[in-house]
Amino acid sequence: MARAAVLGRLAWLAAEVAGAKWETPRVRTLELNVPGWADHLAGQHLDVRLTAEDGYQAQRSYSIASAPGTTLALTVERLDDGEVSPYLVDEAREGDGFEVRGPIGGYFVWEPGDPTPVLPVGGGSGVVPLMAMARSRARVGGTAPMRLLYSSRSLEDVIYRDELEALPGDGFEVVQTLTREQPAGWSGYSRRIDPELLAEVAWPVADEPKVFVCGSTRFVDAAADGLVGLGYDPRWIRTERFGATG
Amino acid sequence: MGIISRGFRGRRQDGPPDRVPPGQYLTDDFPVLSAGPTPHTPLEEWTFSIQGFDSAPVSWTWQEFRALPSETITKDIHCVTKWSKLDTSWEGVSIDTLLEGVEHEAEYVVAFCDGGYTTNLPLEDVTDGKAWVAYGYDGEPLEPEHGGPARLLVPHLYFWKSAKWVRGLSLREEDEPGFWEQNGYHLRGDPWLEQRYWGD
Amino acid sequence: METSDLRLDGNAIGGLLNELFGAELTAAPCVCGGCGAREEIARLDVYVHAPGVVVRCRHCEDVMIQIVRGPRRTWIDLTGTARLELG
Repeated sequence: MARAAVLGRLAWLAAEVAGAKWETPRVRTLELNVPGWADHLAGQHLDVRLTAEDGYQAQRSYSIASAPGTTLALTVERLDDGEVSPYLVDEAREGDGFEVRGPIGGYFVWEPGDPTPVLPVGGGSGVVPLMAMARSRARVGGTAPMRLLYSSRSLEDVIYRDELEALPGDGFEVVQTLTREQPAGWSGYSRRIDPELLAEVAWPVADEPKVFVCGSTRFVDAAADGLVGLGYDPRWIRTERFGATG
Repeated sequence: MGIISRGFRGRRQDGPPDRVPPGQYLTDDFPVLSAGPTPHTPLEEWTFSIQGFDSAPVSWTWQEFRALPSETITKDIHCVTKWSKLDTSWEGVSIDTLLEGVEHEAEYVVAFCDGGYTTNLPLEDVTDGKAWVAYGYDGEPLEPEHGGPARLLVPHLYFWKSAKWVRGLSLREEDEPGFWEQNGYHLRGDPWLEQRYWGD
Repeated sequence: METSDLRLDGNAIGGLLNELFGAELTAAPCVCGGCGAREEIARLDVYVHAPGVVVRCRHCEDVMIQIVRGPRRTWIDLTGTARLELG
């Protein structure tokens, strides 16, 4: 896998909200205009820093949702007792400004030139960096078979729902599981990811696939352990654990 | 200073200045902070001991510890990460009770804990009704994420001194920096003097 | 709240490490001084909801890196890391 460039010390850059779109009742995508932004690789994240009028600052990390070479976008989930996410999801509007630093991350990255079959596994907002991978693949016409396994609580919580229905084809598939509530006629999975589910969805061990798992620590550990239990080499599995607060 | 974000205030609440030390914000939550995995010592294996003096260490099993005279106290607590929580209610055993009958010349203690955490304190900051080993919070048994089965409680100092999962006190003649004190945090940690870091 | 959610991984401190060391370090392997295990920083257990950042070996849980940021100085304890590989 190509190594992400060591870019030297990153600086805080001014970001302006250029557009916003609701993905679900708790999740919103912000498109950003960031003069001086160097392009990123799919899977990377950036840090957001907010400053209040009295100088108080808060900072959090968010995965980049956009494909490299397209308008920079973040997708943020509102966490109820969060400090930064309620601002980004409910308050920030076009023209508002804050600071970003990035792109960050040389480990949890995927480039579409890689022909190895890839299995992105996302739980909740863990799908965001994986969507950047899917979008990156679609944008350049990557040929690596990609099967996204995406776990959400209910249909209402599925982020990028329309796009995930439109993208499949040309070697890209989406497998969904809804863990809490399923609509009538639901044909996807209806439970939390477990070894049986993984056995049906994961690429064969003989393919030596690349896996990217992203979500809460509990989700990531369960998925990674499950795949190792199927015979996957732990070295094939790259993980990114999201925190509980935002 | 960064770009001001219109409409951003953060979660902070201000409080009465005589109750909220400088640089602190009030919270209604009880944030969980941790430097490592939550230990889960079974109560039948749990002991609390006082060590570091000439006679043999004094030690209590969980049952013996729960049979000691205990108190319920209400205190304000202040975390060095800037949140303060007022009127928190605890149940536990006073350190004065635990040190009764222990003959020593120590001027400092080091609290040691499951998981390896340590913190150092001057003896005078844990005696004369200033400190407890607490096993109850808000009328319930102390939850593991908040330090249960028992934690040190020293509310007049920053809350990193109120060591979670405490298993004992080691009496010392010299001050020996603990887990955070070794790497920048103040040896004493008085929130009213804003003693957060070395040199404060 | 799941207390396991307090345990993140080295991806969570990519920005911090870049700020302190001027380089992208999440893919940098390092060796635990306690048990000798070699893992990229992204694969280590990281605790950030604390007075500082604590990075632990995922195999033996020993502290490998501890970072405290003060207003004028940052303390970085690397005594638990036997070796860090860049490049």
